[in-house]
Amino acid sequence: MAHLDRRRFLQLGALAAAGGALSACGGGGSGAAGGTGKITVWSWQGPAAMMKQLVPAFEKAFPAIKVDVQDIGNPAIWDKITAGLAAGGQGLADVLHIGVDYLPAYVEKFPDGLADLVPLGAGKHKTAFAQGMWETVSRDGKVYALPWEANSAGFYYRADLFEKAGVDVETLQTWDEVIEAGIKLKEKTGVQLLGIDKPASQADSANLFQMLLQLQDSFYFDMQGNVTLDTPQAVTALTIIKKLNDAGLVADMAGGWNTMISSIKKGSVAVQAMPTWFGGIIEETVPAEQGKWKVRLPPAVVPGGKVSATVNSTHLAVAGTSEDKAAAYAFAEFVLTRPENQVAIYKGKGIAPALMKAYDDPVFHEASEFFSGQKKGEVFLDALKQPSYVTNYSADYPRALKAVTDAQSKVLLKGADPATVLKEAADLVGQQTGRKVLR
Amino acid sequence: MTALASRAAPAKATRVRRLPAMKVAPYLWVLPAVALFAIFKIYPIVWSFWLSLFRTDGALQTFAGAANYQRLVADPLFWTALRNTGVILVVQVPLMLAVAVALAVALNSPLLRFRGFIRLGFFLPMITGLVAYGLLFAVLLNPQSGLVNWVLGLAGIPPVPWLTDTLWARIALGLALTWHYTGYNAVIFLSRLQALPKDLYDAAAVDGAGGWHRFRHVTVPGLRPVILLTLVMSTIGTLQLFDEPYVLTNGGPDNSTLTVGLYLYNNGFRYLDFGYASAIAYALAVIIGILGIVQFRVLGERT
Repeated sequence: MAHLDRRRFLQLGALAAAGGALSACGGGGSGAAGGTGKITVWSWQGPAAMMKQLVPAFEKAFPAIKVDVQDIGNPAIWDKITAGLAAGGQGLADVLHIGVDYLPAYVEKFPDGLADLVPLGAGKHKTAFAQGMWETVSRDGKVYALPWEANSAGFYYRADLFEKAGVDVETLQTWDEVIEAGIKLKEKTGVQLLGIDKPASQADSANLFQMLLQLQDSFYFDMQGNVTLDTPQAVTALTIIKKLNDAGLVADMAGGWNTMISSIKKGSVAVQAMPTWFGGIIEETVPAEQGKWKVRLPPAVVPGGKVSATVNSTHLAVAGTSEDKAAAYAFAEFVLTRPENQVAIYKGKGIAPALMKAYDDPVFHEASEFFSGQKKGEVFLDALKQPSYVTNYSADYPRALKAVTDAQSKVLLKGADPATVLKEAADLVGQQTGRKVLR
Repeated sequence: MTALASRAAPAKATRVRRLPAMKVAPYLWVLPAVALFAIFKIYPIVWSFWLSLFRTDGALQTFAGAANYQRLVADPLFWTALRNTGVILVVQVPLMLAVAVALAVALNSPLLRFRGFIRLGFFLPMITGLVAYGLLFAVLLNPQSGLVNWVLGLAGIPPVPWLTDTLWARIALGLALTWHYTGYNAVIFLSRLQALPKDLYDAAAVDGAGGWHRFRHVTVPGLRPVILLTLVMSTIGTLQLFDEPYVLTNGGPDNSTLTVGLYLYNNGFRYLDFGYASAIAYALAVIIGILGIVQFRVLGERT
């Protein structure tokens, strides 16, 4: 175990250090009257920066509570939370920012790892969030987190390049039409349509596949937890990706995030089929390309099909071992249920709130200079108002994701048949998890 | 009787008082080490075996007996991981050790100047941290902008899909491993070379043996015990291989660089299936044990 032990040792060391820092911080506060003290918050890059900006206002409203927001980084935060939960909650922060892809696993595998927020008063916010959000964070009458972001599927594109190719992107109805447009685009401009991390060098290389599934009200698992990777919907989704690739429209984004960012800088692909929050990333990455970008909801998978899907969401949870759950909850509630704070976060980093009241703010209805004068906020607000398919990520999502990205790599790198590799993937997930495979 | 007893008693008492003191002290001295060993080695080893008998179904830990082991036998990914690890063991380890021996002989040459500096240079990769190492190779091997492909381009060779093609990803992994561990093994060989008696070389020279013959009949037999040592250590290290595939390829593409160590980690810390991960760890321990015994039998007896 030499290799593994060293890594684990380093991780535990980092945890111990964090724990030490925590207890050192908590020491002063816990003695104070009212059981209030210092709480720690774990998040990543953009959201962490925005929460830091909200801290002074929070501490003014709750003078007895001191908040320390830490940017753990994504994906490092998942290893850190997992290790903390596996260690019985040792060294965890009080408030944890958790993505929808991890939440079910944490809830199912570590029953006391996250605090039930109902006794703390979460119930009153039940109807405040976008459709499907409350179902996402609750289970068996308990509520494990408050929703933060609700990300709708988006289709960001370089309007200037498509114009050069003589394609009106707004008129594209289906992904088959997108493929035709992509071929024209490549002929005229030499630019590829979009990018995928073909060898799955990072875990999240199946974003497009997932989006195409969700546009068909389907996912890796159904609500009963059966495996739904060998369904017509899944085959359709992967077939679209194969067609895109066979037409030479897919750039290889091996290396994941950094490669994707550099592709935006270089202008080597014309489309980013990414959710709401990605608009802020594009603006930050290429501020000089103001007016060249536009955004719309993705075309449907089948003619007349859905064009909206809540592809993912993130949430703030309170650690089950937090010494001051009330203070931790107060901070989460302050950030997530006060419209002015969600508006401030949207203005700062373009992170789309699940809190529907926030959308009353004019900022969501303004024309965006960067996005060619479009009302970008309204584009996604329309999607959020549509009936939403509640995705069951289930505790076995990481395992299923691995099987899916391997299947996708076979298609993209070796030209494998989508139906065959998805059948294999479904069988593998079934074998590994004991779940039933629906066909 | 009483006189005898009273005379014997004090003597006995001093002996009794002294003996425990002498016996306890050494135990006290080793106690911290033993305690740490028990906490950080024995406890996890025992606990991991216990865990391997449980199935994690949601929040439920149900006793499953040998179910995890049965699952292992039927798991195609475990066999893929084992096969990948086996390929590295058969191809990369012998190559690396051969290079290390050559390097050690070269570094041992009195003709070489700045020997200390050059030895340090070859040993340095060993102490490079995981993250720096991973970043370094990711930057070097980047298909579009990497230094390696740039240099190949200068020679008119088209870019190599390092890390994105199943075969090249394996080769890249082998190169990274060789870079990391060759110097370490060379240093072990070097220390042994310096312990070999010079007389043997002189005698061989007197008998008319040339450079190659001296290497083959003096150096190699002299190195045999450390060859066994490095072979066994490299075998264990390779079977537990984790760092390199973790940082370089994430086991991909299409599981071509998935190792047993990485699969174990994925099951434990990505899929939160600690029972199954423990079963993999135990299967791995058994395989390592068997291979170690075989190597000692085959190479050890001739020493």
